[in-house]
Amino acid sequence: MPRRLASGTAARPARLRLAAACAALCGTLAQAQAQAPEDSEFGQLVVAEGAEETYYACTACHSEMIIAQQGKTREGWADLLDWMTEEQGMPELDPAERGIILDYLSAHYNTDRPNFPHR
Amino acid sequence: MAAFGSGGGGSLTRDAVFRILPQGLTDAAPKTALHVSNAGGLAGSSASKGNAIMASNDNLKPAAAEREAATEAGRRRFLKTAGLASLGAAAGMAIPFHRNLPHGFFPAAMASENGLAGKDGLTLLNDRPLNAETPPELLDDPVTPTVRHFIRNNGLAPDDTSAEGWMLTVDGFTDRPLELSIADLQDRFEVVTLALALECGGNGRAFFDPPASGNQWTYGAVACSEWTGVRLRDVLQAAGVQDNVVYTAHYGADGHLSGDPDKLPISRGLPIAKALTDTVLIAFQMNGADLHPMNGAPLRLVVPGWPGSCSQKWLTRIELRDQVHDGPKMTGTSYRVPAYPVAPGDDVPKEDFRIIERMPVKSLITFPANGAASGMETEVRGHAWSGDRTVDRLDISYDFGASWQAAELDPPANDGAWQNWRATVRFPVAGYYEIWARATDSEGEMQRFAIDWNPKGYLNNRMHRIGLRVS
Repeated sequence: MPRRLASGTAARPARLRLAAACAALCGTLAQAQAQAPEDSEFGQLVVAEGAEETYYACTACHSEMIIAQQGKTREGWADLLDWMTEEQGMPELDPAERGIILDYLSAHYNTDRPNFPHR
Repeated sequence: MAAFGSGGGGSLTRDAVFRILPQGLTDAAPKTALHVSNAGGLAGSSASKGNAIMASNDNLKPAAAEREAATEAGRRRFLKTAGLASLGAAAGMAIPFHRNLPHGFFPAAMASENGLAGKDGLTLLNDRPLNAETPPELLDDPVTPTVRHFIRNNGLAPDDTSAEGWMLTVDGFTDRPLELSIADLQDRFEVVTLALALECGGNGRAFFDPPASGNQWTYGAVACSEWTGVRLRDVLQAAGVQDNVVYTAHYGADGHLSGDPDKLPISRGLPIAKALTDTVLIAFQMNGADLHPMNGAPLRLVVPGWPGSCSQKWLTRIELRDQVHDGPKMTGTSYRVPAYPVAPGDDVPKEDFRIIERMPVKSLITFPANGAASGMETEVRGHAWSGDRTVDRLDISYDFGASWQAAELDPPANDGAWQNWRATVRFPVAGYYEIWARATDSEGEMQRFAIDWNPKGYLNNRMHRIGLRVS
């Protein structure tokens, strides 16, 4: 799945060296990175319960890359799903699936941004 | 936001990153910058309010069978409903063997690499819809080459972006509705070339805390290329603008993400007074060549100094209206900010939002790159701009804002262009420094030290800072 493009890293060797030093220092950041390998079955999404439901419900219309950038409360995610069904042509989720997806999103993509993508 | 403010382990490691790489780069940037700019207590209360509301969904008691069904429901939906529609739309036709598609597979036609062909060094934020920004140090050219111009899409680019057969309709409250080919535009109107600065309204959103929805642009959703086209004003005057016209409405050929042909991904407009200014172009060339397909080929609007979304790509129609346009991304909270200052995390009633017009005063440091090593003396350079205004001065500081020196600042190449600036900095001793840049515009307005938080993450014109290791 050719999902990502190396973001011009060759042009930024200094950045890479510093980023490497940074990763070595920051255990928690490095760990977060390890949970979301770029070639995972669910793209950039953290592999955890609910990732599959989230991935397939959302990537029908848009990439999971836009999901992984967000940090929202459960209420914020619920509002966003409502907007998608009401205005953007998303099929209504059945309540159980909606719950699973909201659990997943609010656990892994809340406002503290534990899984903000590392570009 | 507690993780950043409460001194937990995560907070400490982020502080360490901050000391080494102030905005570092990409991975450290949003977190550290949030940490610095955060009005912590306010943000924290907002987050906990949100968490309290999550209880509402615990009322759901799905039957066991429904639970079981849910595990496969997403996959089925992906192939059966909107997913199939959008896959088909992207492929340009039905996909007969769609049932055989493996999980997570997208037709080659949708691969992001296709969209980024002809671009170099951009950071991909999202591959569907395609959105990509340019690292600041790759925006160093006085005029932005096409390969470095950011891409912002709301929908799916049209398959056919060739100029042949492309038609522009001008209608609505006009005396003479027009149907114009690109050749007609070139023949009937004066063709002009202008360097014009375009910036996404959400540039800098990544640093908002609490986070704001949308693509998390950092610095690079801005560019100033040379655009060739005809003035929108000339075309509208040829059509005859009726007295009751207050707003334009722009339509493009891009498709809605859902694949629904009746939905538009975006259709925004301009107050007629702005539309009639002489730097708004209907452009068919970029830097002397055809437009890049992802920058709107073969025809687009270029509206300098206003949110990039005003500059409709793949332009097919301009409608003159007797009321403010109400197309997708004109209403609600899109491209709008509260009419008054709000605390980070505040809920703002929709009726209190106002449409963004000009973009605020801002600047970018494009040399050296953040995190670079430097000698005891270096040139520092970049660009500065302010929507519908000029920049009067650009000051830089290498001591965290304690003292400032004026940079040499060029006038804009023309109205609507950004302004290039440069300065030579001599460091007193070896060590770690930050360069800060601060533009002041022709109305005396200055860049901010902190983010003026708003719910959708627009108009971040906080000063740009880079870190340097000097020896």
